Formats: sequence, C-alpha cells, structure tokens
Amino acid sequence: MSESPDTIRRKAENEGRARPSAIWLIYAREMRDQLRDRRTLFTIAVLPILLYPLVGMLLLQIAQFSRQNAMTVCLVGSENIVGAPPLLDGSTFSPDLIEQPQTLEVKKRQWDELADQPDIETKPRRWVQSGQYDLVVLIPPAFKNNQMSADAETSAAAIELFYNVGSDQSVVARGRVAGVLSAWRGRWIEQRLSDVGINPTVLLPFDWTDTDIATGQTRETAFWSKLLPFIMLVWAMTGAFYPAIDLVAGEKERGTLETLLCSPALRSEIVWGKLGAVATFSMLTAMLNAGSMLLTSSLVFKHIDLGASSSLLGAPPVVPMLWLLVALVPLSCLFSALALAVAAMARSSKEGQYYLMPLMMITLPLVMLPMLPGTTLNFGTSFIPVTGMFLLVRALVEGQYTTALFYLPMVATVTGVCLWLAARWAQRQFESESVLFGGGEQWELGVWVRHLWRDRQSAATPTQACVCGGIVLVTLFFARLSVSEMPHNFAGIAKLVLMPQALILFPALLMAFMLTTSMRQSLRIRMPHWTTLPLAILLGVALHPSYVMLSKLINHVYPVSEQAALAMKPFAQQISAAPWMLVVVLMALVPAICEELTFRGFIFGGLVRQRGKLRAVVVTALMFGISHGVLQQSIAAATMGLVLGWITLRTGSILPCILIHFTNNSLSVSLDRIASSDWQGASLFVSQTELGPSYQPFWTLISIGVAATCLLYFGTMNPVTDESESERVDSPQDYLDPSTSLASA
Amino acid sequence: MIHVQHLTKTYEDLQRGRFVAVDGISFSVRKGEIFGLLGPNGAGKTTVLRMLSTVLEPTAGIATVAGYDVVRDSADVRRHIGFVSNNTAIYDRMTAWEMVEYFGRLHGMKSDPLQQRLEELFEQLRMNEFRDVPGGKMSTGMKQKVSIARAMVHDPPVLVFDEATLGLDVLVARNLLLVIRSLREAGKCLIFSTHIMSEVERLCDRIAIMYRGKILDTGTLTELRQRHNEHDFEELFFGLLSQHEQEIQDRRGVSFPSTLDATAGEQRV
Repeated sequence: MSESPDTIRRKAENEGRARPSAIWLIYAREMRDQLRDRRTLFTIAVLPILLYPLVGMLLLQIAQFSRQNAMTVCLVGSENIVGAPPLLDGSTFSPDLIEQPQTLEVKKRQWDELADQPDIETKPRRWVQSGQYDLVVLIPPAFKNNQMSADAETSAAAIELFYNVGSDQSVVARGRVAGVLSAWRGRWIEQRLSDVGINPTVLLPFDWTDTDIATGQTRETAFWSKLLPFIMLVWAMTGAFYPAIDLVAGEKERGTLETLLCSPALRSEIVWGKLGAVATFSMLTAMLNAGSMLLTSSLVFKHIDLGASSSLLGAPPVVPMLWLLVALVPLSCLFSALALAVAAMARSSKEGQYYLMPLMMITLPLVMLPMLPGTTLNFGTSFIPVTGMFLLVRALVEGQYTTALFYLPMVATVTGVCLWLAARWAQRQFESESVLFGGGEQWELGVWVRHLWRDRQSAATPTQACVCGGIVLVTLFFARLSVSEMPHNFAGIAKLVLMPQALILFPALLMAFMLTTSMRQSLRIRMPHWTTLPLAILLGVALHPSYVMLSKLINHVYPVSEQAALAMKPFAQQISAAPWMLVVVLMALVPAICEELTFRGFIFGGLVRQRGKLRAVVVTALMFGISHGVLQQSIAAATMGLVLGWITLRTGSILPCILIHFTNNSLSVSLDRIASSDWQGASLFVSQTELGPSYQPFWTLISIGVAATCLLYFGTMNPVTDESESERVDSPQDYLDPSTSLASA
Repeated sequence: MIHVQHLTKTYEDLQRGRFVAVDGISFSVRKGEIFGLLGPNGAGKTTVLRMLSTVLEPTAGIATVAGYDVVRDSADVRRHIGFVSNNTAIYDRMTAWEMVEYFGRLHGMKSDPLQQRLEELFEQLRMNEFRDVPGGKMSTGMKQKVSIARAMVHDPPVLVFDEATLGLDVLVARNLLLVIRSLREAGKCLIFSTHIMSEVERLCDRIAIMYRGKILDTGTLTELRQRHNEHDFEELFFGLLSQHEQEIQDRRGVSFPSTLDATAGEQRV
C-alpha cells in the first residue's frame, strides 16, 4: 500500500467511470462474435448484396419481356376509311401519329367478318375476352359518309373501341390508340381546313410552355431523396434489432451475460461496448442495403426505358446521397440504444422478438411521416425526432444547404436529447437486477391477481403507474371520439368539461384504492412546508404571462385550422357569458384537482420510485400533455407539466401543484374579465387588444423575474420523504435488528 | 478475506410476494481455507454467492471481499474474485484460448504476462488439446475447465465455486475437486457451495448449513459433529433441517405438511 496520495486520488476519480480500453475490448469481441455467426452475416451482408441485383435482373427481364410483346390491336373495317389522312403504315399505325409505332401491332380485318353474327359486337367481345387481341377498333360502314358536307344535321359516325379493364395490356393499348385516334382526327381537321382554304392555326388561339425552375440536382433527386432515406432507416432499424436481441436476450438465455457481469467490466462499459456493436451492425446493414439498391437501380434504370415517366424518376444521383450517411450515424445509434434497452427486458431471443415488434410500430410512423406529400422541413417538423433528421437530410440531398443549416440546431438538439435518453434507458436496464435476473416464473392470472392484492404497497409501482396513464389516455381518446358536436348551452359545456376530468380522476382513484395500502401516500397528498403554498399561488400568477406567451408562440408555429377555431367559438362564447365563479370552478378548480391527483399524484408517485426522478417528471409531463387532445394545447401543457413535475418532486406533495394549476387556469379563463373590469389597476397588467386581452410587456418581464425567484426557492427544497429510498423497507419487521443475532450467538 | 455480516436479500415474487431469499446471514472465510456452503436447492446459496461477486446488490447487511465492500467498491471486488457457477456459461463462438484471453484482458492484464499465464493455466488444467475448439463444440467437462481457467486467469486471491460440480461426470468432478484442493495449498480463499454432502465432507475446512435463507449452523466438521452429537453427517444435516422446520411451525402455531420431505427426497438422488 505504498501508493502516493496522488495516485489514490486519481484512482478514486476514475472509479466508476467507463474505460475506453474496456469498451473497445467488449466492442471488438461482440463484433467478432457476430461476424462468426452465419445467420447475422447472411442477413446483413449477403442478403442485400444478392437481393437487389437479383430483383434488378428480374425487373430487367420483365421489362424486356413486355417490350418484346407488343400489344395487338385488331382494326375492323379499315376499308371504310375514305378520303382521310393515312392512319396505318403497313401493320402499324402511321409513325407521325404515335411515337414508337412498333409497340402496337395492328391486325386488319374486314367488316364483313362481323356481319355473319346477328350482333356485330359478339365477335369483338369474344376476341378481347379471350386475349386474342388486346383491343378491337370498329370502324363502321357509316364511316364512309364522313365526308365534309354542308349539312350540319348529319352527325359523324363513331369509331368503337373494345377493351378489357381487367387486363393491363388492354388498358394501355386503349390509351395509346385513343392518342393515335385524336392525333389522326387533328390531321383530318387540318386537311379539311386547308381544303377549304383556311389556315389551321385559327383553331389554336394560343399555346403554352412550362418551365421547371428546380435545379438539376433537385429534379434528379426529388424521387430518390424521399425513397432512399426511408429504405435506409427501415434497414437501420432492422439491422439494429437482430444483433440487439442476440447480444442481450440471447446472452441471457445462453448464460454468458452473468459471466460478463462478474468480470471487472463495469455495467456502463458493457452497455457502451454492446451499443457500439449494435450500432455498427445497424449502419452496415443500412449502408449495404441502400448502396446495393442505389447501384442496382442506377444500372437498371439505364437499361429500362420508362417512357414518359423517366424524367421524373431518373437514375439515382450517387454523390448527394452521401449526405445520408450524416443522418445514419445518430439515427442508427438511437435505434440501437432503444433496441438494446427493449431487448434487455427479454429473457430469451424469442421473447426479444415479441418486444421489438411494438418498438418498430412506434418508430415506423416517425419514418413514414416525411414520406407524406407536403411534409417539409420547418420549425414544427424540425422538433419531431427522427422525422426532423430525415427532412434535414432530404434538404441536404436536394442541395438546399441554407435551409438545412438554419434548422440544424433544432434537429441536432432533438436528436441529441433522444439519443441521450435512449442510451440512459439502456444503461438503466443493465443496472436493474429485476431486468437482468428476474421473471423466471410462470405467469398465472389467479396468482397474479392475488399478488396484486397481497403485495400492495404504500404507493403504486412504476408498472401500475404506466397502466393507469395508459387507461386514462385511451379512455380519453374514445370519449373525445364520442363527442360529435359542440353543445350550445352551458349545461352541455359543463358536461363536456367534466366528463374528461372524471375519466382522468376515476382510474387513479380506483387503482389507488384497490392496489395500494394508503390512498394519501399513493396520491401524494402530503402537507409540504407551509411556505410553499402561498409561493405556489404567487408562482402560478407569475408564470401565467410566460404561459400565455408560450401558447401564442405555439399557435404561431403550429397554426390552429380555421375550422377548429370556428368549432371552438360557441364554447368560448358560453364560457364568457356564464357566471365567473361557476367558470372558475368548472375550468380551474376541477381540472386542477383531478389532473394533479392523477398525473402528479398517482402516476408520478409510481414512476418516481426506483430512482426514477427524471422518468417521473418527463413521462407525467408527456401524459399530461397528450391528455389535452389538441396538439397546440398539448405542447403547452407538456411544458407546464415539466415545471409541475419538478415542483412536486421538490416538495414531495401535490398541494403546491394543485394551487399553481388552479391559479394558472383561473387566470386563463378570467383574463378577459380582468381586462374589461372597472378596476383601474388592471390596465397596469393587462391591456385589451384586438386579439383579446394581453399582458403588458413590463409586467411580463417582472413576472419572469418573480417566477425565476420562486423556482429558485423551490429548488432549494428537499423532498420531505425520498420515495426511492423509503420503498425499500415496508414494514418494521423487515428492519434488521442486529441485537437478535448477537443474542443467539 | 471474506466477511459477511447480516447479509439479506429480498425479492419481489409473484407467488410468494416479498420473498426473503437470504435472511441476515453472517460468516467469514480466511486465507487458505475452503468454506463449504451446504444446503438444498433454493436455500439461497447462489444468491449469497452472487452478492459476493457483486452481480446482485444486497438489500441489507455488509459483505467485504479482500477488504473491498461489495456495494461501494464492486469493481475492485470483481478484480479480486474468481466466480465459477453453473450459471456462468462460456461463449459458443469463441475458442477456449480466446475466451480465457478475453477475460484476462478485461482484467487489464498486459499482453506478455497474459500469454505466459494462459500457457501456465492451460498446462495446469490440461486444456491444451482443445485450445482452438469453439465453446459450442465442447463437452460439459471441457466447458467447466474453461470456466475455471476464466475465473483463475487474473490469479485472484478469492475463488467462488457455485454448484460447480453440477452435471459433471464422476471423473471430471473428481478432477475439479483436486484443482480446488491445490488452490487451497496455494493459499487462496475458497467458497464452495453444493448440495452434495460427500463433497463437503471430503473437501471443506469449515461448513455452513443453509436452509431457507438462513445459516443453521457453522463450524468445522468435527465441531459440528460434537455439537450435535451425531457422527453421521447426513443424519446431522437432516436433523438440523427438520429441527428448523419444527421451530417455524411452532412459531406459527399451525401445523401444515412439511416441505422437508420433498426436498429430502431430492437430496438423495
């Protein structure tokens, strides 16, 4: 023990910190292990390399096949054409009527051949039905009379086309022949006009041209910049899932995880090593797939002529697609961390696959969203995880560098936060004993119900909290669907407001009553230090201007549709007409109590356990936000939820939150009345503008200062009871009494 | 080398609710000693040893290994302990050599001493003929040897064997016991848990009999025999267990069928 104090200090500093060398060791081993697995290699490397060329080859062959197989058209009664410009050129249509006339093979038949049937249409129908011809064109004998005559009464005889909508070939043939016929008619008109000495251009008073102003790069990439990121992300996800399952659930199943856990490697080193390996495989899969597809399609598109649509598709541009790699790294890491965390919950590979499916279901919409027409990178979309990154890359691929640069901070922050949360979640999973070792027993409904009742604790478990949140949100969703129209009297409004509140409160109350031993504790009804209560009201007042500002900002970024605003109008009118006290009770008191009891009470109390402080604040804020239903309100509420969550964490009680919530809501519903009240002092704070009441700027500034001071005060508080610690020992018998063992010794 | 005081571990369990797997046990093991942890399945032996190897965190109580606390200095504890259990498998897609080398490097061993140590270990455990065989193709005996080599690669002062002879044939099991004995000669501190009484009788310097999370009695074999006035070790063991069962029943004041018979049947197999 001759270590100098310096070495000891340094050792102590590095204690518990992940060592890069150990992470690298684990990473290298996992990579080697995966590369030795035949199945992994096949799905990641061999499949994409083989798949796309094979598909491409098939496509080429099909294309050649369809090009060789020209569509056959039967032209019946060509002898009836008299005095017209030439329609046919041998066995094809005349080349000046159609591009690539060889694609339509024309068989001529005499009109007399149909005449032996009582119904003229019998034979053409049969021919098309049997596929002998793709299209039958009937030129009736009356066509001969289609001479220019002064007699306007005689209408022109019609050509009849027989086709079958059930056959693609037939439909295509019809389209092409229709084109031929209209061109032919044009020629005929021109001929007739010049016959009578009129310049044919009199029929064309004007002409038009259109110019696509998009740069060459944008035009070429328009299609590919949508499709390729999608394919890449889907593969990045798939590529993360399988190694993640194998590296965690698989190792658990094979028993090698415990071997690793009792080696000197820290849990964080294990997580980072494994995360690195999973992310590498995710990126490799995505890159190989996208690369192979890009290469194959650029070759295939050179060979297949797509006709008119070719200008839209074009060969994929290879160089701009390199921007995709920029997005791939963070998104692969994000998917990998999520997959790793989810896979850690599974006991076997099979179970892992069940768990990853829901994860895919949740992430897929974020990848699909940018594919929707009209979704572009803007202030709103840049804040959506994954989607924002996707759109940013699309902008880069299309060469819109300034737009991309402008939104980069937002996208980078959102992606960074998501990545950090996911990595933290994965690490938490690896530190949890119940995740790593638990749950080997058989699940049975009866036993489970008995367990729920018998092992009731003073507060909800995190699972119960999540279930409660889920029930609340789902019932709210269906309740909203059942409301068809806005009521037009106050009683209807009251019902409309009270019903969701009841739906929010009821599950939490019921669960607190049934599943916990103490309603007071599980709903976190505690008396905090007395100073917090007046401060909470002050904070509620001081926060309100900021809250209003936030709402305005949100409405600016995500504007409310006019329809929705119109639908809300009777609601607002009823509220402003009703007695003030009643409105405050209905819109402020009831929601404050119901929502706080459920979100900051029951759900928060469950989630905050097992060192879940951050989890409790974030998840309750999200649930609180979603429960508001309307996107604009949800974002504002979720932000407010973060503040409320932090305060309930600090004070250990929901009473301050109820007061803040109540103050905030009452101010919201009575701002109009304050602004238009007779009280002179009101104009100091609030002014009446065209857009409704608004706070005076100076008061807004002061209120921010006051709010910050209040928050600082709350920040100095320590929770009355630390839930995460108190849950460990429930009954006094569980405390160890050292004296008993001493006595017996 | 190992000190355990009032160590307790509780689990949340669907069937039994809050279940006390290890109930305030205390013991210590000295250098150059083999300490046997004897008990039927489910007595809590594995839980104790997992807590010592820092894989599980104790609910209450203190445990130190080579002077390090299992909760506070868990990384240091893992550096001074070798843990062999039938739950610690080896990697299927790694050869014996790679496996042991990997864990040596995780212990932070430098390349040259590590290679030397590997040669030495492979020689000592007679593993040279399957040096390059991947784990997936090894027999149970080979796997066990690799596990032992893996646990010994950093030459730890403390070694823990948890049901290490489970599933091994007589020959391999006998070899393992020889290895353990030689480790004692080298001055290591060893914990050996098993439910097989003959192994304990032949190997262990001191014994703790565990049942339902509690240590019923500790001491050398002779001490135990004298204290309970029973020469036959098997009789002594069952005597202790049924005495404990009786106490529980007396305390509860209700009589219900003893689970001992079932576990006892298991013992004889």
